[in-house]
Amino acid sequence: MGRYRKPIQYVILAFVLLVGGYAIGNSLMTKSVVLAKGDEPPGFRLADLQKQVHDMEDYKGKPLIINFWGTFCPPCRDEMPALQNQYEKWKDQGLELIGINLSEDKLTVESFIRQIGVDFPILLDNDKKTEKAYGLKQYPTTFFITPSGKIQEVVIGGLLTEEEIESRVERLIQAKP
Amino acid sequence: MFQNTKCECGHQNPVGTVLCESCGKPLDEKLLKDQDAPLEMRYDGVARRSQKANPHFVDRIWNFFSSVKIAVYLIVITLIGATFGTIFPQESTLINLTERSEFAAFYKEEHGTAGVVYHALGLSRTYESWWFIGLLVMIGTSLVVCSLDRVLPLYRALNKQQIRKHLQFINRQMVTYAGTVSGDGKDWAERFGKELKRKRYRVYQENGALLAEKNRFSRWGPYINHIGLIVFLLAVLGRSIPAWHMDQYLALYEGETRQIPGTNYFVKSVDFTIDYYSDEELASNQKGKLVAKLYETKAVLYECTDACDDPTRDPVLTEVKSHDIRVNSALTYKGLSLYQNSYQERVRFISVHPTLTDSETGQAIGSFDLKMDRPDEEYRVGRYTLKLNDYYPDFGLDEQTRPMTKTREPNNPAFVFRVTGPDVQEKGEIFIYFPMPSEKSKYYEQILNESFKTRGDSTGRFSLKVENPIVDGKMNNIEFSEYTTFLNIRMDKAMPYIWVGAAISMIGLVMGFYWQHRRIWLRIDDGKLSLGGHTNKNSFGLRADVAWALGKVGTEVDPKSLDNRGNVR
Repeated sequence: MGRYRKPIQYVILAFVLLVGGYAIGNSLMTKSVVLAKGDEPPGFRLADLQKQVHDMEDYKGKPLIINFWGTFCPPCRDEMPALQNQYEKWKDQGLELIGINLSEDKLTVESFIRQIGVDFPILLDNDKKTEKAYGLKQYPTTFFITPSGKIQEVVIGGLLTEEEIESRVERLIQAKP
Repeated sequence: MFQNTKCECGHQNPVGTVLCESCGKPLDEKLLKDQDAPLEMRYDGVARRSQKANPHFVDRIWNFFSSVKIAVYLIVITLIGATFGTIFPQESTLINLTERSEFAAFYKEEHGTAGVVYHALGLSRTYESWWFIGLLVMIGTSLVVCSLDRVLPLYRALNKQQIRKHLQFINRQMVTYAGTVSGDGKDWAERFGKELKRKRYRVYQENGALLAEKNRFSRWGPYINHIGLIVFLLAVLGRSIPAWHMDQYLALYEGETRQIPGTNYFVKSVDFTIDYYSDEELASNQKGKLVAKLYETKAVLYECTDACDDPTRDPVLTEVKSHDIRVNSALTYKGLSLYQNSYQERVRFISVHPTLTDSETGQAIGSFDLKMDRPDEEYRVGRYTLKLNDYYPDFGLDEQTRPMTKTREPNNPAFVFRVTGPDVQEKGEIFIYFPMPSEKSKYYEQILNESFKTRGDSTGRFSLKVENPIVDGKMNNIEFSEYTTFLNIRMDKAMPYIWVGAAISMIGLVMGFYWQHRRIWLRIDDGKLSLGGHTNKNSFGLRADVAWALGKVGTEVDPKSLDNRGNVR
């Protein structure tokens, strides 16, 4: 027995260090779900109004704006035209814009979109899953994501004007992968 | 600190030995001073395993955890630390909050300055804090190291016991007897041993010396208990593995099916019932109040079997279990438990069954089911087709007086239909329908239908109405949910290990508590009998055994007189 005393001591202390380190390290990690600049946004797989499936992965390598919106939220309704205009202006330069609807009925979404004349993809969230994954607290929330897939900026609430969108898009496009 | 380790019997003992491993002669200075005091028999006087003359760094860490004194301090500090977590509610019990700023606001609002301090110190997350987990890890380490350092030498010592012990060792036991033996000492020892065997002692003899021993296994009880505690602690730490532990809440109205986030399961609240205590059943100060006696959610659990990740199709659900969930009667399925948490009285329409009427003829054309949530887009009523053009779950007008929905909940739904069919104008007739019987919604309905008329979209010919909405004071042709139930969904994969740990720990405790390790040594030197006995508890029982066996071989003694501790303790 005595021969193994030292190895046993080391094995036990190493095990303690491993398990204890994991447990303590885990407790030190922040449990916040709110996304911030530099984070990688969570993936999603959602259908648009034409029942086409959009995967977050499909947008890798392109400057991307994700706008969370609902027809029940007046500022969301009001900033839709600005988003549409900017989309038209920049889409030839590779800008992608996705509007993720906040788990509303398809019909409700469709009739609003028709009114505004939006032609960027509108994805339907289901039971607030994506919204929760993105840690949304206020509507609208818009994520500006660089081609390398990192969040450049999160704009929470408030109304985005065309100028505000434009200056951010310019920065996004400059941040080539 | 430690001096000579070689006993006069020639045995070389490790550093820190109290009683010679071989003959039992006291080696510790303190024990040598008072030659009559009972011996300290802890761990049979063997040295702790890790005690060394020149400890190096790792040895010092090891020795730190090897100390029982340190272990006691750690436990006391942990207990005090744990009490801090009970001053105000912990963050984990606040269901609806997730962000640090939200928690900070909650503690400030609920508990004032004390709450602010409490939250700032991180005490609102006491049991998940690094220092608390750190203490648990240290206690776990201490358990392993303390046990290992003691159980191995003890096992060795008990496994190769010398039968003939030093006189000082025998005479300084807690139970002693001295006398004379006439005739052959060996023969006497033989007879005495036989009697002890009848008391289920194992007896070993050697040239007029004897060792009798029973229930040695009870010495292992504490260590088995410790193994159980270690399993228990590891299981608790295992909960921090994300897939091992889940604790969340789900609100469901009657008839609603929702996915349990993070799982492949869906749960439906089929029905919610509540029973109140009658006035006779209540105490005098509660009379007239509504006190819930029983509340119950009839729930069905489904597993998704197809199209689970396909956003273009509805998932295919297969029922796996149904259960009436009450407080303390959870629905459990494969480690998932759904508990009744609370409920809320909130009327919500699920569907209505309206009748389409042709106001020109005044005739009812037919009726259909209209869901308030995710309504179907087309309905066949008689020879007519109703197409849902627009749907606003909570009707209102925006700043530009365009119709919009104010929320996502069907609080006041509005449906815009286009009717087509025989003798209806080519583009169809458009009309809006509000199922809620409120004055305001009926007013909107009227105004909007008038505007459709002036725009030429409608002749005002069709209307929808729920017939006989109230029969015998109950809603008719309307399906609604009266209560929203809140279910607590838990998964704890660590639980089986916690039970195993607790069971092992219990076995260890029972072994240690209900049996006692008893040993009797005796030697006969030239007709002079010296007897000593030791037990870790219940020395009364040991004395009775010795007195009984002595009596059987012809020496009547009073068990009390065998007590060697009387004047000491």
